[in-house]
Amino acid sequence: MDCRAVQRHAVQRHASDSGRSTDAMIDHGLLVQMLIGALLGISVYLPLMAGQLSLATPAFYAVGGTLAALLSTRWAALGASADGRFPLPSFLLEVLLGGVLAGLLALLVGRLVLRLQGIYLAIATIALVEIVRVAILNLPLAGGAIGIFAIPQPFANAAGYLLPALALLALAAWSCQRLESMPLGRAMAAIRADELAARCMGIDTTATKLSAFVLSAVLAGSTGALAAHFLNTWNARQGSFDVSITTLAFVILGGSRSWLGPVMGGLLLTALPELLRPVGDVRLVLFGLVILLGPVLFPQGLITPALLERIGGFGRQEAQG
Amino acid sequence: MDVLLQTLLNGAAAGGVYALVALGYTLVFSVLGVINFAQGALFSLGGYLTYLLMGGHISVSGGLPGWGLPIALPFAAALLLAAAGAALLSLLVERLAFAPLRRRNAEPLLSLITSLGAGLVLVNLLQLLMGAEGYAFPAGSLAGLPAVVSLGGARIRSVQVLLLLICAAVVLLLTLWLEGSRGGRALRAVAEDPTTARLLGIDSDAMVRLAFLLSGALAGLGGGLVGVSVSLPGPYFGIGYGLKGLTVLVLGGLGSVPGAIAGGLLMGLAEAMVPSGASGWRDALAFAILFVVLLLRPTGLLGRRLVEKV
Repeated sequence: MDCRAVQRHAVQRHASDSGRSTDAMIDHGLLVQMLIGALLGISVYLPLMAGQLSLATPAFYAVGGTLAALLSTRWAALGASADGRFPLPSFLLEVLLGGVLAGLLALLVGRLVLRLQGIYLAIATIALVEIVRVAILNLPLAGGAIGIFAIPQPFANAAGYLLPALALLALAAWSCQRLESMPLGRAMAAIRADELAARCMGIDTTATKLSAFVLSAVLAGSTGALAAHFLNTWNARQGSFDVSITTLAFVILGGSRSWLGPVMGGLLLTALPELLRPVGDVRLVLFGLVILLGPVLFPQGLITPALLERIGGFGRQEAQG
Repeated sequence: MDVLLQTLLNGAAAGGVYALVALGYTLVFSVLGVINFAQGALFSLGGYLTYLLMGGHISVSGGLPGWGLPIALPFAAALLLAAAGAALLSLLVERLAFAPLRRRNAEPLLSLITSLGAGLVLVNLLQLLMGAEGYAFPAGSLAGLPAVVSLGGARIRSVQVLLLLICAAVVLLLTLWLEGSRGGRALRAVAEDPTTARLLGIDSDAMVRLAFLLSGALAGLGGGLVGVSVSLPGPYFGIGYGLKGLTVLVLGGLGSVPGAIAGGLLMGLAEAMVPSGASGWRDALAFAILFVVLLLRPTGLLGRRLVEKV
């Protein structure tokens, strides 16, 4: 599976880092990966706040990642620096551009697909993911199945990525929290509770759903740009159907009533295959079992509304009937 | 002309397999209103079971290198047994991934995740047992059948004809059964309205199990047929067919049997028409067609229009 390749790669990367690392117990690469998982979880959660099951996150993640990989390897002006390291401003610019490009694509596609409802929307977005994957695979610039290699590094080791990933996650979580008390967030909650009633109350449901979709895409695109540098290599398989389901699992297992749910789900489920590494090849079977049994044992996810109530409404979405 | 005939037949054969997978989804969707993502894994299972039942051995990278069943069945028997095996496993998937959620009236969304989890477990168990690389069926698997037949000047692989015929027969039988038999009508009654069906004395839980049993058998058949006509490229190969089947399902309209058949044929033929120069794009074609169709007709080609009720 694709996540295996990512993890294997990340492990190789910091196998070479460990010499420089001060604390060998802390696996910085894994931490960054977990943060990327949490970011993608929030990206799936955002349309869900408006009741829309979109699985398009990997498509936007792939678009952002491919853009960053292409810009940093093909555009010499971005990489010019005295110390031979990829300049930080260029890296940040790519993270921004990845989000913008993904957002524009979402604006274009969202108008069309958001007319669909429920499972039809989910399947249309899977179709989008597959179309984007094959398009990137056939893009002559993007290196086909092998992909783009040697993406330049703005940091000396994996630990350097912790700060930008954390900052992006904090920004995303803060925005979700802010949304709850903003007209847009309330409109999203109203649509989730009852789309028809929301429309009757005068909420522009199309614009609201589109906003949620675009926000989700921007976050996924920026995350992709960050991930492309972190992983050092990028190919079309980074955004595939598997990722659609894995990221949905982040939200379902974490809990879909607050942004805290997808963050917890993303952190835990990204770490899990890595923590299971000692059991060897059986770990993917065990990972499947967790996905199979998780929703049966925790139908509301780990972060349940009751739990949120107890910790003081922190990160809680508007109570729903 | 020969090339056209060949292309059409290839497309129809592929389309027949897509239709089998889509019909499997349709059966489950019509009674439960959910999609069983384990379908692709059952497809893989069907292929590998057929291989083993025909006397195939596990390769060196598998969990039991060199091991094989002590029997070597002819293709027809192996295919039927493999379909039965996939059907039984499909029942197990229902028991583990769907029944507990249904008992608790959980969100239908959850079963997307649980069924995919079941599929992941199955595919990775297959990978542990059989290894990651592909298997080809031994030459002469279809004893007594010439490899190539000549039809109106076109040379056609006979296995493609066989595949098309089997798919057509299965689809026909299933349709007749659904339309005419008592069990088929009971199944359709549950699909129409589970509560009323229960009041009429139909055991709707048994019908749900029947739907899973049949859909598993369809997936198993599809896997065995693709295995013998092409090869088994690795345990994940069913997932790709599962996804294509999903697009066919939506293309034809969720829950529509004629839609699944028409959608499958359309998809297979469209893929076969892709010129070899653009074969890299072939995998996107199915999804591109789906995308366009959904935008023009949001409930699929032959689906019912949904009326929103207040």
